[in-house]
Amino acid sequence: MTKMENVAIADQVDHSSHPSTFMGKYIWSQDHKVIAIQYSITAIAVGLVALVLSGMMRLQLGFPNEFSFIDPSSYLQFVTMHGMIMVIYLLTALLLGGFGNYLIPLMIGARDMVFPYLNMLSYWTYLLSVTVLISSFLVSGGPTGAGWTLYPPQAILSGTPGADAGILLMLLSLAIFIVAFTMGGLNYVTTILQARTNGMTLMRMPLTLWGIFVATILGLLAFPALLVSAIMMIFDKVIGTSFFMPAILSLGETLDHSGGSPILFQHLFWFFGHPEVYIVALPAFGMVSDVISIHARKNIFGYRMMVWAIIAIGGLSFVVWAHHMYVSGMNPYFGFFFATTTLIIAIPTALKVYNWLLTLWRGNIHLTVPMLFAIGFIFTFTHGGLTGLMLGNVVIDLPLSDTFFVVAHFHMVMGVSPIMVLFAAIYHWFPLLTGRFLNNKLGKFHFWGTFLGTYAIYLPMHYLGFLGVPRRYYAMGDTDFIPESAQSLNAGITVSAIIVGLVQVVFIINVIWSTFKGKKSGRNPWQATSLEWQTAQFPPGHGNWGKKIPQVHRWAYDYSVPNVKDDFIPQNVAPKDVEYLADEKNNNNPREK
Amino acid sequence: MHILKTLRVKPWLPAELEPQTNLPSALLNKEKSASTALQFFLAVITVVFLLFTITFLQRTQSFDFQALSGEPWLPFTNANILWQNSAYLLLASISIILAKKFAEQQSLYAIIISLTATTLFTLLFISGQVQVWQQLNQSGFYITTNPANSYYFLLTGVHALHIVGGVLVFMRCIWLFYFNLSYQQLASRLKLCARYWHYLFFIWLFLFCLLTSDADTFKTIALICGF
Repeated sequence: MTKMENVAIADQVDHSSHPSTFMGKYIWSQDHKVIAIQYSITAIAVGLVALVLSGMMRLQLGFPNEFSFIDPSSYLQFVTMHGMIMVIYLLTALLLGGFGNYLIPLMIGARDMVFPYLNMLSYWTYLLSVTVLISSFLVSGGPTGAGWTLYPPQAILSGTPGADAGILLMLLSLAIFIVAFTMGGLNYVTTILQARTNGMTLMRMPLTLWGIFVATILGLLAFPALLVSAIMMIFDKVIGTSFFMPAILSLGETLDHSGGSPILFQHLFWFFGHPEVYIVALPAFGMVSDVISIHARKNIFGYRMMVWAIIAIGGLSFVVWAHHMYVSGMNPYFGFFFATTTLIIAIPTALKVYNWLLTLWRGNIHLTVPMLFAIGFIFTFTHGGLTGLMLGNVVIDLPLSDTFFVVAHFHMVMGVSPIMVLFAAIYHWFPLLTGRFLNNKLGKFHFWGTFLGTYAIYLPMHYLGFLGVPRRYYAMGDTDFIPESAQSLNAGITVSAIIVGLVQVVFIINVIWSTFKGKKSGRNPWQATSLEWQTAQFPPGHGNWGKKIPQVHRWAYDYSVPNVKDDFIPQNVAPKDVEYLADEKNNNNPREK
Repeated sequence: MHILKTLRVKPWLPAELEPQTNLPSALLNKEKSASTALQFFLAVITVVFLLFTITFLQRTQSFDFQALSGEPWLPFTNANILWQNSAYLLLASISIILAKKFAEQQSLYAIIISLTATTLFTLLFISGQVQVWQQLNQSGFYITTNPANSYYFLLTGVHALHIVGGVLVFMRCIWLFYFNLSYQQLASRLKLCARYWHYLFFIWLFLFCLLTSDADTFKTIALICGF
């Protein structure tokens, strides 16, 4: 008998699988950590393009007609590309492709994803989708300017910017992205269900994983709606079918289309679009829960409720989509149904907010940069959520529809809030990637600049919405019902936006500088309990666990356990190895007996 | 229900029984993982066809919709060729189960015959579908002339793409078997392929019924669904 026969199969490391060339290690890598970084760099790069586009939009809104390179067509193209890139190609890709890829195998105690080759393919397909999207800037007519919702018939009709090649490239890019997401998503759910290490039951998983898990299932079930609508719209545009196109007169010419339903597209789009909000939000909910718990040195309040809330929000997110369509002329009873479901979804969401606050309550709060961003998230998310309750009601939504109030609402809830969590997560897990901290002073500057700056942008924007300022208008011109002061407010918002944009440059400098010169963090610098910090090699190497995969003995939130020497017990520490305080009389913790 | 029981667990309490140690990790339990992934993938495909179907049913109630069967001059009033195609797909689905059985019995010649049959019948199905497309075009039922035609081409096209995806995986499986796959591994992969083919067949039957229904049937469905 050889020695190897006594070792569990998962512990038998196949050394031949470790790539040794530069290409194998960093380009065609099948290592989930490298793929996560590839996803993250691509997503952040394309996100910066979207950030610049938003800056251009703001320049036009703040100082109309001052910049000759922004005309009405290009303004609409900036709006469209900014929205689509931010929602799909940055947030979805970074949260699931980036953090999902990095954290899933490490947090469940696996060596990698279950299908590493498919994982690699997923990234390269995602990169292809980004390339196709960005190439639309280079084609004749430029990218589509149909608005990120791409509503037909206007999206594919002459007169709309990018109605020729631009819209086709957008639809093609989305279809490719969905293929990439499906490959990645199948990997994430299967890995979580089938590759957890011994002892890692579903209910011992950190909430980060629950968020990613449920969000991935939402993505797998919701993205098909976008795929279906993209395919049908391509048919309408290229072949001349009439799935979404009604009989129409365009630029004085009667088109061949007849009988199609533009409203049908809206239903399909929002059947994807609303779960998409939670595809972004649920991983953020999970990650912020872990950051708060770790930096408050306290177990998350109501773990089971948090899991149930994630699942409930995921389920409910499929029955609220038409609240985006109150002004489409729907049956009032239909509107009533969707208003009700929308308000119901506030219950599990509010429960999560209360639980974050109760975790902080009497915790040993460390105001580290990740914690600052996490607390900032609670503010921005609560504000965005409350305006969501307002817009969920039909009677309030109707007058506010298509105004800047809506823009302010969804930027607070879906833009700023997940971004706050992403920053919290980057500052928190950066030592795991590099073995170094991000610079603390620059981090705090980054936090306050971003937090206060985004409020300076979006609070006044709500007011503009109340005044009736419509969204997606290149310029207001002379509009009687809007006071001149609205323009001053718009200029102020633009200045704030530029400042927030510049603050992000500080963040990027911090990342680059700290990667090479940052203060060394040492192992497990935040004294966290979850498995990703307990690897044999730090930062974790290929295969994650050295010779033996970990055995899990407890949940991920054993912080400040009474009478235990350290204020945290990692998940892989066996009950017999827990060190108690010297005074045996006080050793009365029933949980460890 | 197992899942409800799981979700009721209180993880902060010590486990009554420590989970077993030294079990082989499911990371290397490829069959189980592939099976789980396939289930999720088929769920994704189900949603795709479900959404297409809903849009189709809604469109059947528009003024310009002309069903493809019912009247004698309509192409699918007599759908013999579609029945023939269905038989091909059914035979492909059966032969792949036989291939899996023969792989378990390690009977090489039987495996080769059954895998060849699967390939042949699947290709016959695809070519049969292409033939239907050609016949529709020759009879003036172009993709743009009527929404029913548009949906026929769209749905059967997407279904054909679904089949092509399966064929690629199936071919890879044979390729790997030719080089280094064991009989046991082949059987386990063919089991998944068989599940995929059964699903293809089920979806095709559904599409067959849907696309060849007459106007009265659509009216009844629309009434029930509230379109």
